Amino acid sequence: MKEGALIHKKICMLGGFAVGKTSLVKRFVTGQFSEKYQTTIGVKIDQKSQKVDETDMVLVLWDVYGEDDFQKVRASYLQGSAGYLLVVDGTRKETVDVAGQLKALAIQTMGSVPYVLLINKSDLRDSWQVESKLYEDLARNACLVLETSAKTGEGVELAFAELAKQMLKA
Amino acid sequence: MALPSRPSLPKSSSEISHEDSKGFSSLRRLLLAPEQTELERLKDRLEDFRLQPQDVGRVLPDAIRLRAQQDSRLLASMIPITQEALSLSIKQSPQLISDSIAPILGPAIRKAITRAMRGMVQSLNQTLEYSMSLKGLQWRWEAFRTGKSFAEVVLLHTLRFRVEQVFLIHKKTGLLLNHVVAEGISGQGEEVISGMLTAIQDFVRDSFGQKQDDGLESLRIGDLTVWIEQGSGAILAGVIRGAPPMELREVFQETLETVQAQFSELLQSFKGDVTAFEETRFPLEDCLQAQFEKKSQGLPLVFWILLGLLLLGMGIWAVQARSDQQRWAQLLERVGREPGLVVTSVQDQGSQSVFYGLRDPLAINPNEILSEFGYTSKQAIFRLNPFMDLTPEFILKRAMLQLRPPSSVAMSWEGTNLVLTGEAPHSWIQQAQLIGPIIPGVTHIQMKQLVDTDLKQFETLKAKLEGETISFEVGNSILGEEQRSALLSISETINAIDQLALLLGIAPHVQVQGFASPEGRKEVNLHLSLLRARGVLNELALGSFRAASIEAVGMGPAFVDEALPPNGIEDSRGRQVGFRVVVGEDRVSERL
Ligand SMILES: Nc1nc2c(ncn2[C@@H]2O[C@H](COP(=O)(O)OP(=O)(O)OP(=O)(O)O)[C@@H](O)[C@H]2O)c(=O)[nH]1
Ligand SMILES: [Mg+2]
Repeated sequence: MKEGALIHKKICMLGGFAVGKTSLVKRFVTGQFSEKYQTTIGVKIDQKSQKVDETDMVLVLWDVYGEDDFQKVRASYLQGSAGYLLVVDGTRKETVDVAGQLKALAIQTMGSVPYVLLINKSDLRDSWQVESKLYEDLARNACLVLETSAKTGEGVELAFAELAKQMLKA
Repeated sequence: MALPSRPSLPKSSSEISHEDSKGFSSLRRLLLAPEQTELERLKDRLEDFRLQPQDVGRVLPDAIRLRAQQDSRLLASMIPITQEALSLSIKQSPQLISDSIAPILGPAIRKAITRAMRGMVQSLNQTLEYSMSLKGLQWRWEAFRTGKSFAEVVLLHTLRFRVEQVFLIHKKTGLLLNHVVAEGISGQGEEVISGMLTAIQDFVRDSFGQKQDDGLESLRIGDLTVWIEQGSGAILAGVIRGAPPMELREVFQETLETVQAQFSELLQSFKGDVTAFEETRFPLEDCLQAQFEKKSQGLPLVFWILLGLLLLGMGIWAVQARSDQQRWAQLLERVGREPGLVVTSVQDQGSQSVFYGLRDPLAINPNEILSEFGYTSKQAIFRLNPFMDLTPEFILKRAMLQLRPPSSVAMSWEGTNLVLTGEAPHSWIQQAQLIGPIIPGVTHIQMKQLVDTDLKQFETLKAKLEGETISFEVGNSILGEEQRSALLSISETINAIDQLALLLGIAPHVQVQGFASPEGRKEVNLHLSLLRARGVLNELALGSFRAASIEAVGMGPAFVDEALPPNGIEDSRGRQVGFRVVVGEDRVSERL
């Protein structure tokens, strides 16, 4: 990379509804967390500067609404993403399947771009439903699989940092 | 390769018989001559297998292109050479380089400056235009209230439209390539806005099933309009305050086309590196246009009021200046006319005028003239040296001061003489005679018409005394009661004459003359007349004389024609005593 370059990258947050996409972005960008659930409608975009090695980056985070039975995620939102975070709610088994569908959609629209698989809500391990066997498929091409918590902040920074690094390499 | 087998040809043909060999070779030459020469040439080249410049020249452009497509190593290896060559070239012929970049540099600098000036001048114009009007005052208040700058308030009120922000967005990723803002606008979260604009585009397109190149063209949020231009690789979005004209669309379109044409490859291969798009700043800034309301026809009321006041002020000032000027001229004229004052120059020293010149000490105090014309010593002062004015007026003034004449004396100037008329005491006349000639300007002093009051009195007393007679009885020298009392007043007269004589500096001689009647003997009569004179002299009550002298003289029989006083009485003529005052006639007349 050229010296003094400023690299902008689009990242999508993909996952079922209420898995904590918005919370993860909020934790990453502002360092805050709220128990209150306000479902995302459409997309919400945030940006955060990130330095990877010697390169300045601006991560543009597309927090897409969670896919459910009523709303399919629009492929056009995913277009142009250089990477994505695939989020599974550790307390809800069914979110693994949703993540699988979204991964397929991502590959279809973005091609094989780096992604990080997050099993979120790690602070609620007592009511954990998702075992690693369950998401073997999802994890297959992931550059990193992490258990995270938007509430405690566990793994959040690392997840974004790793994705940024992989995107630069790609 | 087929070629190496060919040289064996001549070898095999040499095995043929000698007779035939001549014929063969000529046949062969006939048949194969062109190939033969071609072969010879090829052979030479193979033997001398070195790169020919013309060969390299033929393939070089293609070779470079192909290599560059493959990767950037060729480019990398060329960088140091190019740089070195360039720096060497600059060193060797700087003129050449400067000549070649001057045509680009000039316009670029000009453009940058114009751009910077335009914004500044516009806001300045607006601010100036409105700062005088009533509306302007209102807005000033608003600015004060809201804490905005006055220029900003003016801008908001007079704005038709203004492009406040322009986004250049990468179409595929929705990432922001570049972003410019109008002066005074602060952009925030441009990347987020850019993303949202793309998302909205996508949403609209997906929802209404439009084709890829269709999309939202404009958005409206309150006062703001967002115009979006779709290109093949990029999107241009302008945030506009107010109501933009349709021509602005064309500007946006043109800009987008220019940028896309210039950056088509970069747009295609975009991997998030936005630094390369910094160069789109200038074309994008061309989109930051603005238009302001034309000012209402005519000038604001306040302007007219101010103009009116200004004219009035100037009028008053002009009138005042004129009367000031007149007053000053009058002062100068008055000072010039004033006797005893000679102004040689007037100099302006700051706000004060200084009069230089001469002044007779007897002349008027010039400050009185100043105040007479309404000036103070702050505006004008006099620096005058004393001198003596020898005009008659001042000679007379000086004479008056020096001589202090009594009110009965009048002084005048005739030709070159100081003329004194009227009457004055002897002592004053004496003094005037002494001082007069030394008064500057006086050469002669004329007193012919000046009466000496003391001398006149002397003459009067003299005449009075000489008119007195004391009569006696026949043959007798005895003074009766009546005669004695008459002698009392006569004594007083004689005393007065002595006093006046002292004053006048003369020594009169008083003769008490005794007479007798002509009858009788001459000697007797002479004796009798002497007795009578002595008797009178004895009877006179005289003080001690200081100037006069007195004697008794017997005149004998009276000589009517000569000696008798004019009021002599017929009857007693002869038997009497009379008085004569003798003054050195010459001296007295000299005085007159
Ligand atoms: N305990 C815990 N709660 C979390 C965590 N992350 C999210 N939540 C909660 O889960 C709920 C949903 O979180 P969101 O971040 O809104 O989920 P989302 O994926 O954005 O949901 P949609 O926008 O509806 O798709 C909220 O009540 C959060 O407080 C976490 O790590 N731990
Ligand atoms: Mg959400």
